[in-house]
Amino acid sequence: MWNLDTRQLLLPKLGHEASECEDFIAFDTHTGRFAVADGATEAFDARNWAQRLAQHWVENESALTADDFREWVAAEGRELHESWSGLSLSWYSEEKARTGSFAALAGVELDLESDAVSWKAIALGDTCFLHYRDGSLLKSLPLSRSESFNSAPVLVASDASMHETSMSSVVIDSGSCNDGDILLLLSDAMACWFLERFERNDLDPNRLFKTTGDDELKQFFNDERLAGRMRNDDLAMLRLEITQRRVS
Amino acid sequence: MYSAQITRANPTCIVLLIDQSGSMADPFSGDSSRKKSDFVAEVVNHTLHDLVIRCTKTEEVRNYYHVAVIGYGRHVGTCFSAELGARQMVPIAQVADYPLQVKSSYKRVSDGAGGWVEIPVRYPVWIHPASDGKTPMCEALTRVKEILERWLLDHPKGFPPTVLHLTDGESSDGDPNEIGQQIMSLGTDDGSVLLFNCHISTRRAAKIEYPIDERSLPDGFARSLFQMSSRLPANFLSAAAQLGVNVIEGSRGFVFNGDPSSIVQFYEIGTSLTGMTPYRWMDDDRRSELA
Repeated sequence: MWNLDTRQLLLPKLGHEASECEDFIAFDTHTGRFAVADGATEAFDARNWAQRLAQHWVENESALTADDFREWVAAEGRELHESWSGLSLSWYSEEKARTGSFAALAGVELDLESDAVSWKAIALGDTCFLHYRDGSLLKSLPLSRSESFNSAPVLVASDASMHETSMSSVVIDSGSCNDGDILLLLSDAMACWFLERFERNDLDPNRLFKTTGDDELKQFFNDERLAGRMRNDDLAMLRLEITQRRVS
Repeated sequence: MYSAQITRANPTCIVLLIDQSGSMADPFSGDSSRKKSDFVAEVVNHTLHDLVIRCTKTEEVRNYYHVAVIGYGRHVGTCFSAELGARQMVPIAQVADYPLQVKSSYKRVSDGAGGWVEIPVRYPVWIHPASDGKTPMCEALTRVKEILERWLLDHPKGFPPTVLHLTDGESSDGDPNEIGQQIMSLGTDDGSVLLFNCHISTRRAAKIEYPIDERSLPDGFARSLFQMSSRLPANFLSAAAQLGVNVIEGSRGFVFNGDPSSIVQFYEIGTSLTGMTPYRWMDDDRRSELA
């Protein structure tokens, strides 16, 4: 009844190797779960933490309520910290590990089996979920304005002792889709750039994601970052286009 | 300006310039057992610790910063010794690898459930307290200028250098204003060198923090230091505000008659660079004791 067209883009910071990229995209079109995570540059083992959060959230069946999410993050955090035990660390790595790791995460679960497509999304940090329809932005969470992006977002901490305060910032929402709707999961620099362009109305970023070839799109974002119109950060974009299946 | 991203390809540099004259052996803030030089060495070691931790990526320290710690008193020169002593400006990864010693201790932190737990912490030491001789501030600033000129030849782009100067008294070799102005006229394509000055005092005189003009300053020495203090860029203003420090647009990176808590905040604000949340290594209980 419904078609789902996915497109993704993952770019490391300019001047960095792909292996240094701390943004991750994970999805499973069969279960309809999609996630983007962004490891905090300054955190210990942030790349692993972001990868673990994105992949395991997609593999999970729940973690779409605040309580489930908190419990799931705490378990993931324990496993991450256990993976560090036994490591012989320098004083600075030991100090860094003591504060745990941090990442932003946004995930969405789609129900494509019903007559009306519905979504449930969860986000903590500055990786965003956006719902776009006919040139209008219906939802953008957890941040909805470009000026809301700053250098100190509340992130998903691997150390459960920080959850008392951080988990109150989790945003959970749901909605339904029409034929032709676009859902986007964007890491912070991309989300900030997207919202800024959208607010200025000087480019249809959604059209850019749809019609531009892969190489051209990479070059476009390299140029944007080089010109300083976009922060030189890792970039992750996962675009989901939902269309009604036509019967010929 | 003051917005360049700090990367390994475009690192920035931080110079900690410390008065190590004889008067730094005087006790600080009523605590007769604690010399000013002891307290300053502790804060500088914590600041270096913070800079290393910020650049630590799991098991690697990335060279986002190059650091110099210059002392002046009987001698003018680097406060680093042993493996780090041969160079004035040291990449942060080398600073990380060569502390003189790493002390272990315990720190009380919240357990997230209303209680407290003690966790092991490491305190690396790079510099020891020193206090001897006069206050050759002009000679020291001239040394800093030479170090920066050399560094800027190789790093003309990126976030400009920051100089954090701490002193407890007047210069013994002339008015530092002119050489201070020369330092502030250096820079990169992202802005002029930032020179911030913190004057500390054992007297119970009213402290003046981050003023916007000279009106409240008591004498010519204070005015001279004020004039050679850069305005705090927006990123630093934001970091100061996060620490609860009263700053406004136009505030200079300048403290006069500072107390121990002023020193801690001065280094926290001065190393916040791109607006990052200041690293608060000292817990609130001890801050209140110092204030």
